Amino acid sequence: MSLFGANTGFGSGGTGVFGTTTTDSHNPMKDVEVTSPPDDSISCLAFSPPTMPGNFLIGGSWANDVRCWEVQDNGQTVPKAQQMHTGPVLDVCWSDDGSKVFTASCDKTAKMWDLNSNQTIQIAQHEGPIRTIHWIKAPNYSCVMTGSWDKTLKFWDTRSPNPMMSLQMPERCFCADVVYPMAVVATAERGLIVYQLENQPSEFRRIESPLKHQHRCVAIFKDKQSKPTGFALGSIEGRVAIHYINPPNPAKDNFTFKCHRSNGTNTATPQDIYAVNAISFHPVHGTLATVGSDGRFSFWDKDARTKLKTSEQLDQPITACCFNNNGNIFAYASSYDWSKVQSQYTSGSVISGKSPSPAAVVH
Amino acid sequence: MGRKKKKQMKPWCWYCNRDFDDEKILIQHQKAKHFKCHICHKKLYTGPGLAIHCMQVHKETIDSVPNAIPGRTDTELEIYGMEGIPDKDMQDRRRVLEQKSQESQKKKQNQDDTDEDDDDDDVEAGPSSFQQPAAPPQAAYMPPMTQAGMYHGLQVQGMPPAGYPGMPPMLTGVPPMIPGMPPVMPGMPPGMMPMGGMMPPGPAMPPMMPGMPPGMPRHVARPGMPPMAPAAPVTAPGMASRPAVPATQSAASKPLFPSAVQAQQTVSGPSSTTSDSPKVTFPAYTQPSSTPSVAASSSTVAKPPATVTSKPATLTTLSATSKLMHPDEDISLEERRAQLPRYQRLIPRPGQTAAAAASAPPSGAVGGMISAQRVIPPQQPGIRHPIHGQYGGPPQGMPGYMAGGMPPYGQSAPMVPPYQAGPPMGIRPPVMSPGSRY
Repeated sequence: MSLFGANTGFGSGGTGVFGTTTTDSHNPMKDVEVTSPPDDSISCLAFSPPTMPGNFLIGGSWANDVRCWEVQDNGQTVPKAQQMHTGPVLDVCWSDDGSKVFTASCDKTAKMWDLNSNQTIQIAQHEGPIRTIHWIKAPNYSCVMTGSWDKTLKFWDTRSPNPMMSLQMPERCFCADVVYPMAVVATAERGLIVYQLENQPSEFRRIESPLKHQHRCVAIFKDKQSKPTGFALGSIEGRVAIHYINPPNPAKDNFTFKCHRSNGTNTATPQDIYAVNAISFHPVHGTLATVGSDGRFSFWDKDARTKLKTSEQLDQPITACCFNNNGNIFAYASSYDWSKVQSQYTSGSVISGKSPSPAAVVH
Repeated sequence: MGRKKKKQMKPWCWYCNRDFDDEKILIQHQKAKHFKCHICHKKLYTGPGLAIHCMQVHKETIDSVPNAIPGRTDTELEIYGMEGIPDKDMQDRRRVLEQKSQESQKKKQNQDDTDEDDDDDDVEAGPSSFQQPAAPPQAAYMPPMTQAGMYHGLQVQGMPPAGYPGMPPMLTGVPPMIPGMPPVMPGMPPGMMPMGGMMPPGPAMPPMMPGMPPGMPRHVARPGMPPMAPAAPVTAPGMASRPAVPATQSAASKPLFPSAVQAQQTVSGPSSTTSDSPKVTFPAYTQPSSTPSVAASSSTVAKPPATVTSKPATLTTLSATSKLMHPDEDISLEERRAQLPRYQRLIPRPGQTAAAAASAPPSGAVGGMISAQRVIPPQQPGIRHPIHGQYGGPPQGMPGYMAGGMPPYGQSAPMVPPYQAGPPMGIRPPVMSPGSRY
């Protein structure tokens, strides 16, 4: 799909300064920019699952809204629908059949959005903002898992106002990922907990963090048999740890690598170290993409332990990213993430681009 | 290492004030960081050595030691490991350590003194070890992924055996007495300046070495490891994370820092960065590189009490060669942002649900009004809506929304208009409620 066309119309941004730039550090990769982006930073992106035809992209933002676009084969995006919360939306996810979208927000609630009827209902309530939300589809149950800053992890049957289960965590939930039957949650104070979801969710293991800084994002990867076997954990210190749950040789198999730092090997000037905002695995190749506060995204091959590609630098940090279900499209959101103290109001933009072609992937 | 006689200070690098568990590592560190030629990457042994090399081979002069903190950049001072460190600096350092250990005793009983033997020290200090004996392997594995994807560190640390007969990996079992290796003297008796002269490592050595392993997993049992392993902690890439080590160790030695910082300032004058606190006894990290952006908010947050109560802990800073582009408080960016008044407005607060509900209807009208306006950056404080409480400008078009408690389960269904063409919701009038947390 030839997505590297000129930028499509810019959504109405608060600043509106983008216009038709030529230099364009706003979209230096010349990827397709999604129309009608939210008005504030985008916190999360999710593509529809393979069970649904077409590619639909959901993006939650700090403007309290969740938007849905259809991404067509030619790369153009069509805004489809929108829902609101009363607080910034921090995470979104799809149900496995692609009919519902779950959204989690700072307003301490999570909602289920039925796309067919375009209605939402609240399905979860926490004592603090809900930071992560994931749909779990197990052979004998399905539920929504929500992780919150109130230090609890709750599981909800969407039909009931009370959680099916509530697990206490040592600290606030900062990020999580679910690939049945494994779930990983990273918390404040560098906590890391793995849960197993068979029969019912239970804590499987608490892991000593391989990173020395605050955890920021986590993504589970699968092995050749499509079983979840480990996860990639990103921190605010421009570093990602690849960690296997039961590796044959932990010393050799687990490793960390640095990313999203300025001036690579040049030690003459101080190096700026940026947070890794999100990690996403390619569903087919197993390569991973990381996006950071430095405004770049990079693709990596964790098995060959190499970097495949780094993008040009965008003018704003990249806050979220996502591959579509077959890996052809990679969407990333460029918006301010508050990593620098001075607050800048900027609208967000969502950009979707072609994934690196298979040829580029070392396999 | 249970002997008092052994030098009571852990090896530390005079150039950058970093602590190390072992002098060998210290030396590797110095060679890699301070005595490495920036042109050809050759590692020399001393500062003057480097200067001479650059002059003779590259016809270039260098006037300061690379990666050294201000005040410690003299290329003429012949320092090798712990040898050659001026007395004054040595005493300053000792003083700092004393202060630190006193504070740590006061604050946390179970915290070992840094200057005391004990492998527990590895847990807190020791930039060289990635703590967690549970996960030493990861410590050893910091292959920075560079563009080329090569193990950059590996190449860089060409170091190994060549120049170093007493290679750490061989530590176990290797007779501590390494002839000709003056710097290797962890057994240096306290108070003895390693100045010049080769202090016979003496009896202190043997107990030293074997004592190390528990805390030094990387030395031990890594025969097959690329030489990078021991060097790993000292590589530039690794360095960045090291100072971070303390970041989240909940040990309380935070309070040590303030005094350490001050002490350091008198010594070397670098401006202390904001985040001294965190945990761990890292007296050395007063690296100047405080950036305006990073420092801005949290300077006052530094030096929190030993237990993190309401003030979030701050993160450690990094060395002079790197800085974290992240606010110092140890809360996530989202949490930080969620605390902003801008985003507080709409979150229902427990005691105000009634008010909120009451205001919901009127907000509907306002909502309509707002949507008419374009997106106006919320920062403009001029927009003040009379709506009181949370619902300044609730998601337009949701007049019926029960913002307050979420009681109506399954029915609240905030019926949202299917699709709003424009990017309507931009405006949220500034919050009325004080900047309280959710």
